[in-house]
Amino acid sequence: MNLISACIDKLGQDILQGTIQHIQLTFFAMGIATLIALPLGIYLTRCPWKGVVSAIMGITSVIQTIPSLALMAFIVLIFSVFSLPTIGTLPALVALVLYALLPILRNTYTGISQVDPTVIEVATGMGMKPLQVLFLVELPLSLPVIMAGVQISTVWTIGVATLCGLIGAGGLGDLIIKGLRSFQMDYVLAGTVPAAAMAILFDWILGRIETWLVPEGLRIDPSKTQEVTSCP
Amino acid sequence: MIIFEDVSKTFPNGFAAVKRLSLHVKEGETLVLLGTSGSGKTTTMKMVNRLLDPTEGSIQIYGADIMKQDPIALRRKIGYAIQDIGLFPHMTVAENIGVVPNLLSWSQDRIRSRIDELLGIVGLSPEEYRDRYPSQLSGGQRQRIGVARALAADPPVILMDEPFGALDPITREQLQNEFLDLESEIKKTILFVTHDIFEAVKMADRIALLHHGQLQQVATPSELVESPANAFVDDFLGRHRFQLSLLTKTLQSLVGDTWTGPHPFKDPTGPTLSPRASVIDALDLFKITRSSRIGVRHREKIIGYIEKPQLHDIIHELLNDERAPS
Repeated sequence: MNLISACIDKLGQDILQGTIQHIQLTFFAMGIATLIALPLGIYLTRCPWKGVVSAIMGITSVIQTIPSLALMAFIVLIFSVFSLPTIGTLPALVALVLYALLPILRNTYTGISQVDPTVIEVATGMGMKPLQVLFLVELPLSLPVIMAGVQISTVWTIGVATLCGLIGAGGLGDLIIKGLRSFQMDYVLAGTVPAAAMAILFDWILGRIETWLVPEGLRIDPSKTQEVTSCP
Repeated sequence: MIIFEDVSKTFPNGFAAVKRLSLHVKEGETLVLLGTSGSGKTTTMKMVNRLLDPTEGSIQIYGADIMKQDPIALRRKIGYAIQDIGLFPHMTVAENIGVVPNLLSWSQDRIRSRIDELLGIVGLSPEEYRDRYPSQLSGGQRQRIGVARALAADPPVILMDEPFGALDPITREQLQNEFLDLESEIKKTILFVTHDIFEAVKMADRIALLHHGQLQQVATPSELVESPANAFVDDFLGRHRFQLSLLTKTLQSLVGDTWTGPHPFKDPTGPTLSPRASVIDALDLFKITRSSRIGVRHREKIIGYIEKPQLHDIIHELLNDERAPS
């Protein structure tokens, strides 16, 4: 117990600051990624050219296969070519957004694609306009799958955001890197434990939001399966 | 009412689903589009609410060419019911029924009372079922909601695509009977798609038999059964011909002549059937009740009686008919 309280006495301020930065990074990255991936995913379900669909899905999948550390490095190098800031929040955010895109994009696309075409035809046959079909039928029916994508993305982003310490964007990664360089376990733990706790907490919160958002009629049916995507 | 004029539909892949179809659906009748899969019956129906557009020919509703109308407005004036999977799983029973009234921006009060009225019409208690979800209903209940939903905005035309197809035989028959009762009250023009000749004979005022996109015959069920227009129709009836003959003979046709007076009989005792019931129903009832006569009841009034010997005569006649041509 003494060890923990001593650690908090010594590093409390750093932990608090790191956590706030970490939440900010995650929050903005997720916000931007969702704003891009959700409309893009919806567009892809309506895109008449299958080539475009597989190209965009392919590109996001490839981004996902790049190790997160390498992605950071690439972005810093590319930014330096265009003389953009190579240190701080901007390159970090870009990397996080790129990383967070895929699960949301893929789940939005598959979620909407898997809505029973008969249901859509009935909706159309009853006189719904295309946007009404989207908002009244397709999105509510694919919400569980889309939310699962957002959930996966968030947990990944919290993990990857620890690397942002490397390029001076702050966050809990800062503490871990300091601990690594100076061989101090308490620093490493002070970065790791809050990050892990945050991942668990956000996962839980998003789970609650999903339950709250997903229409009751869909929750009753336990056979509804969600897209499962493995962690990197 | 609905007029198909020389309508053809060829899909982009070259498949000709409907070929030069001309058909006149009369106001207030139930016209059944009958055929095997690939006969073009569903395609024909989907052209009415413009889920598909004909490649040639024209379709008119109330004398107005539907191709010149806004498809969204057109569809909201046409009731549409399909197999029970057509209910929106994320909406309650009330929300499902209220879809078209909501699209038409009715007031919430009006929608609510319409929903309760319709639930009453299809025989489900509003208090109990209003807030349920489709997954909490049985197949038969879902189908009732499907029918209620199609009726929601009181459209003059209703399209039904195998609405009872997913049900077990007992529930299906029950719903067919209920729908026949309902239909005699509401008097809608109904276009009904099925592949089941028994369902067609039961539900139809007239049947349009399609094969490979071509209309083979349009006739009342008894005409279709008694005088098939060509070899295909004859084949389609197949070995069910005798049964179908009995099915298409309604009690109405038997008592129609005997009952002339304006005052209906008043005899609440003994077994009764509706005038739309068939000779087969009468046979069943005779067997179950061992009664010597059955009352034919329209609403609460007895309009005539069927005696056992009458049925014997009918069957004799049919047996002789069957023998003659072959």
